[in-house]
Formats: sequence, C-alpha cells, structure tokens
Amino acid sequence: MPFDFSRIAAQIDDLAREVPRGGPDEFAPLREAYATVDTGELVARLTDPRNKHSWMPARPDVSFNRAYPAPAAPPDFGVIATDGSFILPDRHSPARFYLINIGRVHLHYGSRPDAHLSSTAELRYREQELQVDGRIPVNATLLGMRRAADELAALAAAAEGVPRPAVALQDGTLILWSLSGQDEAVKGWVLADFLDALERLRERGIPVASYISFPGGKDATDALRIAACDYPGRGLPINCDACRAERDLPACHVIPNVPDRHLFAHIARLGPGERSDVFASASKILREYGEHAIHFFYLQTGTEIARVEIPAWVASHRPHLDLVHALVYDQCRRGRGYPSVLQEAHEQAVIGADERRVVEQLVEEALARLGLVMLRSGKDASKRGRFV
Amino acid sequence: MRIGEVIETSTVGFWAESERLHQLPPLGALVAVALPDGATLYGVVAFGQTAGVDAGRRAVRRGTDQVFDGAIYDQHPELLRILRTTFQAITVGYAGPDGRARHHLPPWPPPLHYSVQECDRATVAAFTEAPGYFAILAASEGEVAAEQLLAAHIRCVYDRRGRDTAWLNAAGQQVARLLKRDYDRLLTVLEAIDPGVEKYEVQSTKYELGGAANGSGGENGRAGKNGYGDVPF
Repeated sequence: MPFDFSRIAAQIDDLAREVPRGGPDEFAPLREAYATVDTGELVARLTDPRNKHSWMPARPDVSFNRAYPAPAAPPDFGVIATDGSFILPDRHSPARFYLINIGRVHLHYGSRPDAHLSSTAELRYREQELQVDGRIPVNATLLGMRRAADELAALAAAAEGVPRPAVALQDGTLILWSLSGQDEAVKGWVLADFLDALERLRERGIPVASYISFPGGKDATDALRIAACDYPGRGLPINCDACRAERDLPACHVIPNVPDRHLFAHIARLGPGERSDVFASASKILREYGEHAIHFFYLQTGTEIARVEIPAWVASHRPHLDLVHALVYDQCRRGRGYPSVLQEAHEQAVIGADERRVVEQLVEEALARLGLVMLRSGKDASKRGRFV
Repeated sequence: MRIGEVIETSTVGFWAESERLHQLPPLGALVAVALPDGATLYGVVAFGQTAGVDAGRRAVRRGTDQVFDGAIYDQHPELLRILRTTFQAITVGYAGPDGRARHHLPPWPPPLHYSVQECDRATVAAFTEAPGYFAILAASEGEVAAEQLLAAHIRCVYDRRGRDTAWLNAAGQQVARLLKRDYDRLLTVLEAIDPGVEKYEVQSTKYELGGAANGSGGENGRAGKNGYGDVPF
C-alpha cells in the first residue's frame, strides 16, 4: 500500500485542535493591543535604527486601527489582469525548453460593457533563456519569479490601450520574496522587467494591485509585538536576543501567533467592503524596489479577509487607493468572493494536462523530423509506463 | 445567412457553434453547409444548448434583486466570451453542383469549421418539395424524441413555405406511411404538429383519435426502433 492513512488520522485531529478559533476571550490581549496602539510611538520604534528584532513588522502609513468603507465605483471603468502558467524544463527530456503562457483579460463596465480575453504562449529554448548569466540554470523557483515579471510586463502592455479609470490586477503577491538571497544576476534578470512594468503602469496612470486570498502574512500582528515590547519603557532599545536571554516569556508574548487576516476579521471586525489602514511591508527585498516599494491593506470582500498589495505611488495617492479599494471589492462581489477578472485571467493562462502532452508530442515530432529519436530517461520511462 | 460554424462533424450530422450567444435556428429548421466541391449539404436542427466554453465550468446563479435577466450580461461582460451557444443538426440530404436535391446521406461529412447557413424560403421550398427524407428524422435517436423533431420540422417548413396546406397534407401522409405500424408514435407526431390540422391528417391516414391514445407513443417508438417491440398496430 503506497500511503497509510491510518497513521496520520490521529495527527490530523491534533492539528485541527491547534487551529485558533478566536473565542471571545481567547485573544483579549490582542484586542486590547489593537485598540490602544499608539501609531506615532510604533512608527518611532520601527524606524529607530538602534532597535534589533527578528520580526517582519508592518509600518502603518497613517494610522493602525481605522476601517474605511468601500468608495463607490465610477460609472464607467475597466479592470485588467494577467496570469501565467508554465511548463518547466524537463530534466528527463533531451530537448531543453520551458514554456510560459500568459492570459490577459480586460473587462469594461458601464455604458458599453465589453470583455477581451486572450492568451499568448512562448517557448524559450535559447541558451541565454535557459541559463541566467550563462551559469545559473533556470529552475522552478527562478521560473516562478520570471513568470511574475512576464505577467507584470504583459499587464503594463495591456494597460496601454485601456481607457481610464481602470485598475490593473495580479493574483498573489507583488513582493518577490524568493528573490532575497539570490545571485545579483538573478535579481537583475527578474527585477529590471518587473520594476519597468510598474513604472509603465504609473506613467499610464493606472493603479496596480495584487490580490491575495486567505493571506498568511503576520506583518500587522508582528507590529503589535513591537508595540507591546517593554524595553523602550525601560529606556532600552528593542533587542530580541537580549530579551530572550533575560527571561522565558517576553512582554510581546501576549500577542498570539495568528495571521493578520484573523486580526482584521475577529478583532478589527471589518464589515463587507471595508478595508484596513495601509501598511508598508518590511521585506528586505523591497529595498531594491525604490519608489515602487510595496504597501498593503486588508479588505473584507464579503466572504473573507483578503490582502491587497500596492506600490507606494498607489498607497500615497488617495484617488488611486480609493479606486483600487472600490474596484477590487466590486470585482469580488461580481465574482462571488474572488475577482472575476483574476478568475478569467487564470482560465486563460492555465495549461491543461492534454495541452502539456500535445506540446511534448510536437517537440518530439520536430526532433524526429531532424532524425533525432527522443530518448527518455529510464526513471521517466518507468513513471510513464507503470507496471506490476 | 451565416449562423454558425461546424465544430464537430460526422457522416450522420454535425454540431455548430452559433455566431452569437443565444442566437440559433429553431428546432426543426433546415440549415445548409456549402461544401468545397460546390455541393450543398442539408441538415435539420435537432438540438441546441448554451453552456460554458470550458465543459468543466458550470454556470452559477448571477442574478440579484436589482440585476437579473439581460442586465446580468452587462454586469458580467465576460459571459459573452466564456459562454457559447451550440446546436446539432441531423444530415438529411444534399444537392450536387447541379442543384438537384438528394434525400439520402452524402458520401462525406461536412468539413470542420465551415459555415452553417440558415436556408431561405426558396431553398427550403426546393429541398422539402418531396418529404422523402422524413425517414432519416423518424429514425433519429438524439436528445429530442424523433416524434417531436419530425413535428417541429414540419411546423417550421409549413411556415417557411407560406403555410402551404398541400405540402402539409403530403407531409402528414408521409409521416403516416413511416409510422403506419405504430399508432402511438404517429399520434404523438400529429398532435405535436398543430391541433388545428390534426383532424385533417388523421382522416387522411384512416386512423381515428380516441381512447387508444395513451400518450406513451414515445416509449413504444423507442422500443420499436431498438428492435424489441416492432409490433404491427
């Protein structure tokens, strides 16, 4: 038997008990911390270079604990989105290539409703496409980041012909977390196009945002930990290492280990359409983003708390921010809890199992025409032709 | 007038996708595909449906108290691109480059992606002049019962021919001839054509309406076609 379910059944029960349920008193300290946070003091602590901590705390742009109702959508507006999927380079195949398929969707609402849906697939097989800087092979992680850059470039290109007001949307995060710690050549390979696309969207006057459903980020609760630290009250700079050496339970222990979505659902109790305050992410990779550094807010979509990420130039320009807020909420309502435009972009991008097989077959046929018989690795052949 | 494009094809019929969502020829209408060799293939619309382009995506309710019916399409413009209307036609004959109608199956199916046209009055009149092709419809085993399809076709053609009573008479006689061994099926067809012409048709085929009609003609008909109960009436 390949998989023993009975072994994990008991562990699944334990796991379920670990999930926070947010009873009325379970998070009383968190509720207290959220209600009483002093934004000025918190920002001072977050920007004081003497403070050393291991968290990734969000820095509030204006205030921390206010809620903003969704502004009305303009009478005529557009939303555009792109999404991508790829076929990874196959280590077991003699032909080295990968494929990126980008789906594009423009939905227009108002007096003349219309929709444009399309996708473009691109096969990449040249040496400079398979290796970054001629030495770093493109693997799944790198390809994921390359796709993010390609999606955003396609979004900026799509925005060229779209009338304003419009919002450009992406699924997932605008923070290229996995770029941290990568070789400088890889950073350049991804970031140059990524930031160029953000710049083109800014010049076009179309605010861009990314949408994260069921977000796992803890940036805001981490900030509450910084606010709860008692070191500054004792006249000391924040220092987590010193604190841990000093005692078992630090002062910030009162803040439970829950994601931000829990904070904004059960503590802030955002109503349908309401957004949180806007925060700046503390991700180190954003130092490379310049004026496109990513900020975010949480939005009650009617069905869940989603995280919406925006570049600094959207966060600081209230008309852009309000348009993103209004249109993302509007999209969630039209799409039964998830933006319609992202749903359709995904549908355009997805490469089905049949299509993957056809691509593989076409490559094999092309090789055969040149007299190259496709030899698969023994391991791959055994997986394809399973026998007993 | 081009109304669709062939997206699935076979010797006995084809599926077409409508040019525009929700716009398809009526059940029983005569449609044509112009073939590359100059011949024209004729089919009778036997089924229609509107569903997601991607078969894996089912339609969900979109309406609210304020937005319903046609307004839903304005509020969800992508629906015009992700839904499609398709219809199935049963091939009933063809006309060679000489224009002579032949009421039997053509040697080849129509090519994929060719245009499907709705037939004008003159074409309908020419092809349906003799109802010899009714046998193909009577033997069809699609989603729509053969009796309903025959009746829908006769209604369509009768109308397209300018309410041609002489043709309706001949059509009724042809149906009676085809279903002479199955009174229930025959009755189902005749009742479905038009209550106003029912009496006329029944008299012409020497059958009488009455207690024998039990409404289960379709069942009997299917049994007959399958070879299990082809009992003489």
